[in-house]
Amino acid sequence: MTVELLRVEGVTKSFGHIEALTNVSLTINEGEIVGLVGSNGAGKTTLLRLLAGVYTPTDGAVVLSDGSKVEDARHRLGVVPESTGLYSRLTAWENIRYHSRLYGTSDEESWNRTVFFADRLDMKESLGRHTKGFSRGMRQKTALLRALAHAPDILLLDEPTAGLDVTSARTVRSLVHQLGETGGTVVYSTHQLAEAEAVCSRIIIIHNGEVRADGTPAGLLEQTESRNLEEAYVSLTTDKARTRVVSDKPLSKIAKWWQKLSTPKIPGGDESE
Amino acid sequence: MSSSFRRITTISKKELVEFARDWRTIFALLIIPLLMFPLLFIIFPLLLASEAAELDAIEVNVVIQSNDFPSDLAEQLNGSGIELNYEPLSIENNLSSPLEDGDRLRNGSIDAVLRMKENGSVWDYALLYMSTSERSQEARTRTLTVLFDWEENETERRLVDAGLDPDETLRPLNWDGEFSDSDVATSGEQAGMVLSLFIPLVLSVWTFSSAIQPSIDMTAGERERGTLEALLGLPCSRNELLFGKWLAVATITGIGVLLQLVGLLFAIGYLATTDFLTVPTLSIASIVFIGIAVLLFAIMVVAFELALAMRAHSVKEAGSILGPALLLILFPALFTQVINLDGIETFWFSIPVVNVLLALRELLMDRFVVEHIVTWIISSGIYAMAAALYAARQFKREDIVTSLS
Repeated sequence: MTVELLRVEGVTKSFGHIEALTNVSLTINEGEIVGLVGSNGAGKTTLLRLLAGVYTPTDGAVVLSDGSKVEDARHRLGVVPESTGLYSRLTAWENIRYHSRLYGTSDEESWNRTVFFADRLDMKESLGRHTKGFSRGMRQKTALLRALAHAPDILLLDEPTAGLDVTSARTVRSLVHQLGETGGTVVYSTHQLAEAEAVCSRIIIIHNGEVRADGTPAGLLEQTESRNLEEAYVSLTTDKARTRVVSDKPLSKIAKWWQKLSTPKIPGGDESE
Repeated sequence: MSSSFRRITTISKKELVEFARDWRTIFALLIIPLLMFPLLFIIFPLLLASEAAELDAIEVNVVIQSNDFPSDLAEQLNGSGIELNYEPLSIENNLSSPLEDGDRLRNGSIDAVLRMKENGSVWDYALLYMSTSERSQEARTRTLTVLFDWEENETERRLVDAGLDPDETLRPLNWDGEFSDSDVATSGEQAGMVLSLFIPLVLSVWTFSSAIQPSIDMTAGERERGTLEALLGLPCSRNELLFGKWLAVATITGIGVLLQLVGLLFAIGYLATTDFLTVPTLSIASIVFIGIAVLLFAIMVVAFELALAMRAHSVKEAGSILGPALLLILFPALFTQVINLDGIETFWFSIPVVNVLLALRELLMDRFVVEHIVTWIISSGIYAMAAALYAARQFKREDIVTSLS
């Protein structure tokens, strides 16, 4: 039986005049590993931040199964942002404990869970080390441990294997698999189709702020009459991908003037521009 | 302990632990303020005294240019650490004109030139020197001291020769008794007056400047390093985040200011043993109100700095905003030094920054004007609240999750 955990209801998210997400609706069910796939700037991170309660929808709502708004139920979520967000002057365990305490979890409980997962990620020996000297892989694993320490209902991972070496990426994927097998729910953002296919039980393709497809890998192939997911993705995203949404905050006159003055012209460029 | 308070203290503790692990910031924000005043008031005067003693020990070279130099004056100059060289006076008018002696003074072959010629019953003289040379300055000082002594003796001699009493003639107005007895202000009150001129300045400038680095690190720094996004996803409100960070910055700033005061009191204690300055007399009420004034000021300043730093997208941007913002404190602080506290209008105690600085000046002089106290407490409270609300608004902005990096 499918148990719904989280529901996105007609969510639109705008930054000024730019619409980063347009009328997105989806549900996240218990035990699913959902892959959010899309190019850079498609809106994956914006959607993850909405799911994490960091952003508030311009329109629509993100609610949990009990009807509570996601920003009021953040203790039920575990988040690993793309930047990992570790404090370099703290040890790996101090980083984990800091977040756990803010989640209201006891040190003992979070330590036990951390040790359990650290064993699987080969991180047990590094828990007492300052994260300053950590490799990208170790940082990612620490951020994962931090997100798991308070036993969240849903784990939100933003590009968890980006920049990792093959072994580290494999270890992370393997842990996500294990979580799925034990009934855990994971939302996994990536722009690697092969990775999504290998890890996720369901794939949501986002393009230019819209959900273009939502289903199992086999279902997507059937829906698009494609031989592989790459073909399916291409057929669903034929319109040109927009550039990454940063900010549409207009520059002041002084800022524009200074920018023009301090930027060298391209040799042979159009003088009139 | 409520869960909100627990989260605030957790955030604050983590910030303090991170701060304490960086020895450079500990040195800059805690050790320097502790040592600043002892170095300024104890070591620096000792250094100056040692330099002065060194200068006293040297013998300066003064050229006397005169055709009829008084022998008694020559004797007095000889006993003053001055090596005299006599030359005939070749100039008739305008003895101050350096001529070729300017080159000798400039190249250091001589330290000063004393030109003197008798002009009827008076002596015309000029003393040439170079103000940018310490040796030359010293030669001038020693020569002038002897000259003025000689002039006084000569004046008295002439008065006696004319049948007059030098004391009655030169000093018809005579102070009776001990001069220091005439001031009704106690030495403690006088010390308070002296300290009131620079303690508010030091307190305000240090409070603002020592909060800059931690404010930037805990806001724009977190944003730039990407740690803020993870923090914003936690089940704590933006206000809890702000208060946690505010508490940490205020603690660091408070400790810095406290250490600076400890250093200052130590220096004053040392100076008290040298009769240069006594310990100021402060009532308990003054101390309590000083504490309230500094606290309200710190609430306002730290919240304001956190807000400005949170508006910035990077550490560099925050630094370029908060650095010049120090002038917002520095100018009023310098301005309040020259305001006369006697009969001051009450409205001064409602102007931001100026109000707290004036309050500190009054309190250090142990003056209690109820109208002033009520005005600065209410206005400072309003400004502190406004700064906190502004900071809360900045912390609630959605774009703080993104960073330039």
